[in-house]
Amino acid sequence: MTPPDGLAAPSAPAPSSAATLAVEPLPRHAPPRGPIATLKKHTKILRVSLSERMTYRSDFLLGTILRFLPLVTTILLWKSIYESSGASELAGFRYREMIAYLLLTHISRMFSSMPGLAAGIARDIREGTLKRYLIQPVDMIAYLLTYRVAHKLAYITMSIIPYVALFVVCRGYFDGIPDALTLAAYALSLVLSFLVGFYFEASVGMVGFWFLEVTSLLYIVMTLNFFISGHMLPLDLLPSPWSTILKALPFQYMAYFPAVVFLRKITGWNLVLHLLLELTWAVVFMVLSRGLYRLGLKRYSAYGG
Amino acid sequence: MLANVGRYFRLLGHLARYTLSRELAFRGNFLVKVSVEVLWLGIMIAFYRTVFARTSNVAGWSEPDYFFFVGCYFALNGLVETLFFENCNEFTELVRTGDLDFLLLRPIDEQFLVSLRRIDWGTAPNVLMGAALMVIALVQKGWEFDLLRVATFFVTMACGTAIAYSFMLILTTFTVWMVRNQSLMEMWWMFSSLARYPKEIFSGRWAEPLGNFFTYIVPILVVSNVPANVMVRVFDPFMVVLTIVAAVVLLWLSRRFFQYALRSYRSASS
Repeated sequence: MTPPDGLAAPSAPAPSSAATLAVEPLPRHAPPRGPIATLKKHTKILRVSLSERMTYRSDFLLGTILRFLPLVTTILLWKSIYESSGASELAGFRYREMIAYLLLTHISRMFSSMPGLAAGIARDIREGTLKRYLIQPVDMIAYLLTYRVAHKLAYITMSIIPYVALFVVCRGYFDGIPDALTLAAYALSLVLSFLVGFYFEASVGMVGFWFLEVTSLLYIVMTLNFFISGHMLPLDLLPSPWSTILKALPFQYMAYFPAVVFLRKITGWNLVLHLLLELTWAVVFMVLSRGLYRLGLKRYSAYGG
Repeated sequence: MLANVGRYFRLLGHLARYTLSRELAFRGNFLVKVSVEVLWLGIMIAFYRTVFARTSNVAGWSEPDYFFFVGCYFALNGLVETLFFENCNEFTELVRTGDLDFLLLRPIDEQFLVSLRRIDWGTAPNVLMGAALMVIALVQKGWEFDLLRVATFFVTMACGTAIAYSFMLILTTFTVWMVRNQSLMEMWWMFSSLARYPKEIFSGRWAEPLGNFFTYIVPILVVSNVPANVMVRVFDPFMVVLTIVAAVVLLWLSRRFFQYALRSYRSASS
């Protein structure tokens, strides 16, 4: 038994990017360079990836419908917890805030979870398909980032209707829409959580250069992440040393932080500070993944035909 | 008939032994798989410990009772994952590649082969871990031995497994038409989330009918609720009978559905 994100990874590895990459007609002579050419290249990657994601719609639709079942049970569970405890507030969260928080972590995870990213990188390394990035004028991490943006765009656009419906149904749990400044900070925290999630998983995937089999390591990381990112409950609820420790780690930015920003639990300079910290973590993981990639390439021996 | 049943049990034994030796060829991987499960159980315990630090009961379930429920669910889910999950998950791939042909050609019941070909030993320890949690909960509760309860518990556990399996088979079977049912794992996770909590949390204006719907019409809620209730809470003969009937009906229904779907299977040649 493992949470959905963790499970999704090995079973549904990022749909092989081999096919999409092969579609690109490559010029016979030196490829055009410069920022515009790069932008064009990545727009194409984005388009191809988008249409790939839209191929299996019925599968996706059934998944979206079923996705709301756990939400219902989670709401009911917390309702019982609040009713049974008789307290109006648990760790500073009123019942309505708690449900709002749990709904909002779904939005956070929508941005920060990267099913199949690390597994895909590890597979490319193991099977030697990584070499297509080495012989074609495209940087692997940049390619994967664009691919992932397309994936997320498709996913978010297709989930918008059910999610809007969900939030309309659950609007009673929210104290209205926050002010524009909070919304802007929220949007920023989500974009940053995407970057933190992406570069964190990419770094984990790079471990594949040193160990051939990392799927199991990924399971452990994903399972742990599910809890320590605050997806299951607000980190404030945990007993004292743990809540402090977990709030100092980067994982909170993948679920907990954007949610509490929306709920205006973090405001003022504290908010600015945390946004800067989140940015720092994104940069740290970016540098880490790039560094590991560069180091790994020195070890890489391109197995496979 | 009886000889046939014996043959299938022998076959299952061989398959189990074969998959165990395959699994043990990669001992490290096996150990990591088990530790993921330990970790997950740890997370669930941490979660409910955190909750019970703030309240003495949840929906009328005291802490030991609730942990018994968690153990029961964990063991049952472990059993389902060990026996059927990997197989059902692979079914998608069999349909997509057309490899299902090879299974259909064998002189064995195709449902048996599709559902039990590979035993996933990595999740088998979950049954033991769940059992350990249940025993600890019983000790904490100061439970007194009652043979009737224990016997009914095992019967309803078996029925719960059968019900969960039937639902999983039905979900899997949709693959025949959808070809790519890649989120089956996710779907199963979401669907089985209904079985993860006591039925009593379904209270309130709209939740109560929902709880009844998932108890009497689509009886996924009885899967772990009935065994846990039988053991530590109210012994309700009606629910026990309902669980047994549901198991039989669903096994029959899912089998019919599976066979019906196979008629639409069109193979896939290269």
